Amino acid sequence: MNLFVLYLLLLKASATSYSGLGSLPVIRQELVVNRQIISDRQLSAAVAAGRVTPGPAGLYLVSVGYFAAGIPGATAGLLALITPSLSVILLLRYLRQKAEHPRVKSVLQAVVLASAGLLFSATIPLGEGFLDSPWLLMVAIGSFLIMIFTRLDSMGVLLGAAGVCLLMEAVSLLMGRP
Amino acid sequence: MKSPKAKLAYAENVHELGRIFFRIGSLSFGSGNANIAALHRELVERREWLTPAQFNLCYALARVAPGTNLLAFCVAVGWVLLGRAGALVAVLALSLPSAAIVVALTRLYEVYGQQVTILTITRWILAATVGIIAASAWALVRPALGRRRWIRAAIIVVGAFALNSFLSVSPLKVLLGAALVGFLWSEHKER
Repeated sequence: MNLFVLYLLLLKASATSYSGLGSLPVIRQELVVNRQIISDRQLSAAVAAGRVTPGPAGLYLVSVGYFAAGIPGATAGLLALITPSLSVILLLRYLRQKAEHPRVKSVLQAVVLASAGLLFSATIPLGEGFLDSPWLLMVAIGSFLIMIFTRLDSMGVLLGAAGVCLLMEAVSLLMGRP
Repeated sequence: MKSPKAKLAYAENVHELGRIFFRIGSLSFGSGNANIAALHRELVERREWLTPAQFNLCYALARVAPGTNLLAFCVAVGWVLLGRAGALVAVLALSLPSAAIVVALTRLYEVYGQQVTILTITRWILAATVGIIAASAWALVRPALGRRRWIRAAIIVVGAFALNSFLSVSPLKVLLGAALVGFLWSEHKER
């Protein structure tokens, strides 16, 4: 895939998001649904890789870039992630007063809320892709509840899921199941 | 006591700034807020390079800027401290180490992702990821669910969900529509 086009697609997603995973719906629409460059499975793996890594949650774009075009793609992902943040310099220079204007705040809040609705929307096809057993459904629901009601971070949840899985595999082996 | 500017004059070098952001970017898990808390401790409390007011301004504007808040925050802090070079070094020093780790993890997934045990563990991790994504969405909604404000929030969230899920309206169009709704239906009082 053309690297510049990949950069522009990732930039479009990152520039229109206001949270780490806010870019996910646009990424899925462009790279999974429209162009079929990566799969839902790869997209979820990218999100997981971004979540078990220190630094900003949006780093999953680097992994998405890697799946799409290797190391050059990952570089495009990192650049696409960084580029919109440079706009804060313009805000520092010219918009210090306006940032607190009620109508500006209202617009931003509405965009953030719509991002949440889009994220919920993106969760459904991702879930349909691989929540194909009651156990996996319970893992997804359990992770959701743990994230909401406890202070455990996402890395802890992912490592916990991996740990429980290993434990069950070990128990299953000990009991002589295939 | 020296002013923050005078203190910065002692330490005003790009290398030191990069070292701080590199360390925090490599070691701080737990999303942007954990990183920002670590930067507050380092830049405001320990070194006093930034005043609390400067820190808060950077934080507020980073929330307004498009893209990842944490990276915008790094750019803002770097720019306030050392201008363009500071902005560039801060954002790269924070993001490069973790980007390298992400690439390594992705490569590992590519190479070993099809082995039976790894495949099973991966399926569990991916299932947990679905829950985490839904929780991220909830974390965006929760602050807007105050008394009397929840109706507006619910309409926007459910509307965005329905437009995208059932009518296949593209995310960009949904976001633009939401911006329009936010402009026309403001619950923040004009001063």
